[in-house]
Amino acid sequence: MTPNSKKRYDCGEIEDLYQQYIDNELTDEQKKLFEEHLEYCLPCDKKISFELKLKEYIQSKAANIPVSETPKFDIIKIINRPS
Amino acid sequence: MAKEEQQVFSTMIESHLSSMYSTALRMTHNPQDAEDLVQETLFKAYRALGQFKEGTNFRAWIFRILVNTFITAYRKAIKQPQKVSYDDMEEFFLYKRLDNTTSLQEMSKEDFLDNFFEDDIKNALESLPYHFRLVVLLCDVEGFSYNEIANIINAPLGTIMSRLHRGRKLLQRQLWNYAKTRGYVTDDAKQ
Repeated sequence: MTPNSKKRYDCGEIEDLYQQYIDNELTDEQKKLFEEHLEYCLPCDKKISFELKLKEYIQSKAANIPVSETPKFDIIKIINRPS
Repeated sequence: MAKEEQQVFSTMIESHLSSMYSTALRMTHNPQDAEDLVQETLFKAYRALGQFKEGTNFRAWIFRILVNTFITAYRKAIKQPQKVSYDDMEEFFLYKRLDNTTSLQEMSKEDFLDNFFEDDIKNALESLPYHFRLVVLLCDVEGFSYNEIANIINAPLGTIMSRLHRGRKLLQRQLWNYAKTRGYVTDDAKQ
């Protein structure tokens, strides 16, 4: 605990910090306080679960380029081409 | 010696080609342009290999070259940031819309996402203005940290977080619009 740390986050703080939470950018202490809030606040817990799921969903859909649509890069040929 | 160096470079870069191409495709909207962008990045990266510091993040380094190459090639097209309206863009935009939609009361919000086609997600991402699209791609799709993204696009951390925040809101608004257009929701959300 640092001198400025608090024992509990309120819903407003969850709203301010949720982006960093879903991106795993909070400090260990912030993450602990964040998750403690989710344990007793169902509305926040549901919102954050949805945001996490949405991020995961976007990742899975957008990163998925079929092998047939990915060009074959001949690296040696490319780096030896004339300038 | 050169051949050996080329082989080392080839091995280092091989596993990143797919994600480089995927990002290039989302940025250029066009397979041929994306392929050209990746080729140009490979060409430049090999020549700059001496500047890469062993033990640092190679993937972030190569993405930095990819982004810079994109910016140089598309400078004119991306010069003017598009005007974007943030009216009605509250936090948890999509969640709150779904929460207020009567026709979805029986369905979980997570299940609702499965309604979208893969193309809906890709189109929503590609519809984002360039500055927002780039950070959303780097964070949500490629999994880079805020610090890595700040380094890749050479912008302060606060700028990254702000663009990510706005980009995600715009993405959620776009998905909501798709849901309405495609008839996934049959009644509009109460405001």
